[in-house]
Formats: sequence, structure tokens, C-alpha cells
Amino acid sequence: MLGVRQPRFSCIPDGFLMDGRPLTIMLFAGVAECVGQREVELAWQGGTAAELRGQLRDRYPAAASLLDRSAIAVGERYCRDEDQVPPEADVAVIPPVSGG
Amino acid sequence: MAEAAMPQRQAAGPLATDAHDRRHGLAPQLVDGPIDVELLRRQVAADTAGAVVVFVGTTRRATGDVITERLEYEAHRPLAIACLARLQNEALQRFSLEGCGIVHRLGVVEVGEASVAVVVASQHRAAAFAATAWLMDRLKTSVPVWKREHTANAKPCWVHGEERPGL
Repeated sequence: MLGVRQPRFSCIPDGFLMDGRPLTIMLFAGVAECVGQREVELAWQGGTAAELRGQLRDRYPAAASLLDRSAIAVGERYCRDEDQVPPEADVAVIPPVSGG
Repeated sequence: MAEAAMPQRQAAGPLATDAHDRRHGLAPQLVDGPIDVELLRRQVAADTAGAVVVFVGTTRRATGDVITERLEYEAHRPLAIACLARLQNEALQRFSLEGCGIVHRLGVVEVGEASVAVVVASQHRAAAFAATAWLMDRLKTSVPVWKREHTANAKPCWVHGEERPGL
């Protein structure tokens, strides 16, 4: 199809699983520093915010302590642990804040 | 007198020209340069208010033995604006405020400069003081803004507490 970029296997990052759509997750502050990236992609077919945090924790053990204390946000709302994070959602990891 | 006062009010606060608008609060802002605290005060001040509290959070040079050279802030901007707006709306109702405005600065904030300004107007001072403290307490635990501290003797470090954010 013209105008539609087809995924290429050479672009799939390390750790990417083929059983779910890639979910782009924004990272901030200490989490981004720990992971070394501002965004990561994760295979995701849907699940809870707690499950998403768990997957990130498994994939980035160096950031585990901070991830345990981080919230998951979808769009302009914080998720509770039991909230569903749909595929293709606008997702961010929000570590403990320090504004002011 | 009323005619003379009108142009001044319009120049000072185009976003809040009557009491109805003030009760909805000014749109919270994230800015990348110095905060104009006096402009914010003029925008929030209301004829119906007998008290206006201005809080300015600044970069502190010393915390115990640690010497801070500067702070650097980043935010999840859309979520931060949404959180600030929700906090502001809750404060307006909870404390029956006449006006409220919040501005947070992002990027590098040198020692002595303002990183955040909160202005609250109410009929009496007790509500304005209480609302300002309430807003700052919640801002510091729930709004997705982070500071990175640059000190004299260590590499820059992001500041994170223990509490998982939420609103």
C-alpha cells in the first residue's frame, strides 16, 4: 500500500516480542537516565498498568527500584494498578515527582 | 474613576476580566524562561478579594553541607498542565477562592531564581494561606515535574522521592 510504512525486522529493537503490537512508552527524569532512552517500545496486547510496569521492570532491571515507585499514565490521566492500558495508548512512566 | 480603571485592568489580566472568569482560574502555565510574578499577581487579583497570597519557590544554594549550583527541571507537559488545572479547580471550590494562578518554570533555574509561582486570591486571608499551602503540597507530590540537581562536588542527579505519584 502506498504511503504506509511496513515494519522491517531489522528495525525491531532488542527484546521485542512478536506476539503484540509495539507500544511506545515515554520515559522521564531518572527512569530515562537509567534506561538510557527517552522512549522505549514494548510488545503489548493490552493488560493492566501493574502488568505493564512489571514488564518494564523485567526488561530494565537497573531501573527496577525506580519503576516500582513509578506511576503509569495514559494520556492526561494517572492509572491505578488495576486500570487497563489499551494497545496503541499514549503511555508514560511517571517516577516520583520533584517539582516546586 | 471607573472609566479610568478599566483599561488598566484589561492590560493587566486579559484572561480574567471579571469575577466569573476568576473563579475558573487562569490556565496554568509551564514556561521556559523567568516567571513574571507581578503579572501573575495582577491577573489573579480581584476586586472581590480582600487577600492575595503570592508564593514563589526558588532555587536554594545550600541544603546542609550540599551546595547547589543550579537546578534543571523537566516535565511531562500535557499531563502536568492537566494535573495543575485539576488541582487549581479543586482549590477554587474547596477554599471558595476568588482567583488562582500557577506557573512552573522548566529548564535551568539558577540559584535565587523562581521555579514556581502560585497566586491565590480570596475574600479573607485564612483561605488564601490555606489554599496556597494545599496547592504546593499537592503540586510537589502529584504534578509530573522533576528537578535535576547540579551540585559543586557530585555529578548531576535527578531528585525522586519514595511516593508513587497520582491524582
